[in-house]
Amino acid sequence: MPSAASRRPSPIAWLIAPALLLFVLFFVLPFAIMAAMSFFSSNPIGNPHAVMTTRHYERFIVDSAGIFHDALWETLRIGLVTTVVSLLIGYPLAHWMARMQSRLGHALALMAVITPLLTGIVVRTFAWMTILQDKGVINTTLIAWGLIHKPLPLMYNEFGTVVALVHIYVPFMMLTLIGVIGRIDERLEQAARSLGAGRLRAFVEVTLPLSLPGILAGSLLVFALSISAYVTPSLMGGTAVLTLPMLIAQQVGTSFNPGFAGALGVVLLSVSLVIVIAYNRILARLAGEQGLA
Amino acid sequence: MTSRPPVSRRTMLRAGASLAAAASFGAPAILHAETKTLKITTWGGKWGDIMKGTVLPAFEKEHGCTVSADQAFPYVPKLQVSPRNDPLYDVLHTNSNEQWLAVVDGLVMDRITAKEVPNVADVYPYAVSDKIVGVSIFTSAIGLGYRTDKGITPPRSWKDLADPKLAGARGGYLIPVNSLGQCHLMMLGKVYGKGLQDLDAAYKALEQLKPIKLVDFTGQMEKMLLSGEVTEGVIHDSGVYRYDGQNQPVDFASPSEGVMALEQVLNVTPGSKVKELAFAYIDYMLRPDVQKLLAEGVWYSPANKKVKLEAKYDAKLLTTPAKVATLIQPDWKWYNARKDDIDARVTKILKG
Repeated sequence: MPSAASRRPSPIAWLIAPALLLFVLFFVLPFAIMAAMSFFSSNPIGNPHAVMTTRHYERFIVDSAGIFHDALWETLRIGLVTTVVSLLIGYPLAHWMARMQSRLGHALALMAVITPLLTGIVVRTFAWMTILQDKGVINTTLIAWGLIHKPLPLMYNEFGTVVALVHIYVPFMMLTLIGVIGRIDERLEQAARSLGAGRLRAFVEVTLPLSLPGILAGSLLVFALSISAYVTPSLMGGTAVLTLPMLIAQQVGTSFNPGFAGALGVVLLSVSLVIVIAYNRILARLAGEQGLA
Repeated sequence: MTSRPPVSRRTMLRAGASLAAAASFGAPAILHAETKTLKITTWGGKWGDIMKGTVLPAFEKEHGCTVSADQAFPYVPKLQVSPRNDPLYDVLHTNSNEQWLAVVDGLVMDRITAKEVPNVADVYPYAVSDKIVGVSIFTSAIGLGYRTDKGITPPRSWKDLADPKLAGARGGYLIPVNSLGQCHLMMLGKVYGKGLQDLDAAYKALEQLKPIKLVDFTGQMEKMLLSGEVTEGVIHDSGVYRYDGQNQPVDFASPSEGVMALEQVLNVTPGSKVKELAFAYIDYMLRPDVQKLLAEGVWYSPANKKVKLEAKYDAKLLTTPAKVATLIQPDWKWYNARKDDIDARVTKILKG
């Protein structure tokens, strides 16, 4: 017969419980509701005649209008491009900041990275609109200088969308990378150089592999944020850009079809999970399974 | 010999102060318990300022109630997930297309008559026509806004928007999300085809409008026109008239084929616990003095026939039976039944 002490939950369970509760409340429950809604003909809360159905998924799979598959591909493409560009911009800057000797310089640079996060996404997107639109700062200036005669197509396309998304999400990439690169012992790189490696080779063979956990975390963060972005693609993309979050918002906000919106949400989450797991595996293999588990 | 009172003056003062303090703490709770709350939806911007600054406080005073106004879109999905017998709103204010979607789910009443709202007896026929679910308290004319400083001829027809000179400088709406865009699509069917429901003609005409700058909201179209990003675009008259006297190079044109009606509709939720108050609110919003205040504040055409506006508003807004007769009311029931297919088709056309 188990003793009273063995039946009592361990102290670790008590420590984990609040986090578990939050996870269930703010992730599992909303997702479960969304997934459940995707299998109902209409909202079962208000409509007693709602029945179970798979028609929302069939609608997505059949895609008679040919826009849902395009929207999924466009969402993933924008997410991938935004992630790669954010990494290319963010990594050198993060490396520079992590290796900065001056504490004041580091603090100032960190402030420069964090400050944009204090401004709302809508405001920053509108700022990009004033810069990239036909009558915006760039086109007006180039036309005034006589370099171009008609405005360059900088907005209402994927280019403008990616530019704004990169600006918005590059701080997330940098903040993740700064922490990881900052913890890499600089003497390892110095040792490689003392053994004859050049600056580039020492970086490629020592620093870069050791910073892979940061690259993985930063990339996943930026990718997840980019594929779920709604405001920026809808304002910067016009009709040229159609992403799944835009379609989901449309289904909820103007078509009042929560079932199909739920199905689109489940599809987006499933596809992005597959990509995330694959990316995780590839990077883990590249890093020799070190530090990525 | 003076006898000492059973309670000293100081004690009396202390007790009085304590009672006053207790009363001041307790009173709001008691008041709150007795005061009914009317939950409504309303617009933001200038409309919201007038509502919150003047219209709603006066209603609260008159009816001894409090009004809780939601200005955060989207309203119908929020109503959809609230209990039917205790809905999130008592009065739903939206455009007609959404009222028609809401009535299908039983979220709002299908009709409001003079029996429930006496001022309905004084509204123009369009405000309670068979194209309306609830009652329209204001309307705007959907036509064309244009820049007066770009050397273009003021538009007379909807066809003028297709002028090749306007390529990339013409504006419209994302049809799946904006009822002005949906009205424009139907109007293309009328102008280029057999009528508002001639979708094939409308799709063909839409193709001819590319490249076109599309926005979500009328506020964005206003900004595009004001900044010169768009030279000519679909907009409702109040979106242009509200800049009257501000020295802006924009004007509004009513195309000869007619203007579409953008109705501001109020409706009551069947499960409202304060239905009488909800009807009283709609009646209040239709009162001539309230109608005049809002019409002149945001340049919306009042639904009540008895409203007398200042000359400059009267000249531009739809304030006579003849002017109101120029309004075209779309069949939203018909449109909503096809919305998914239309959305998919126009998305493909405009993306391709």
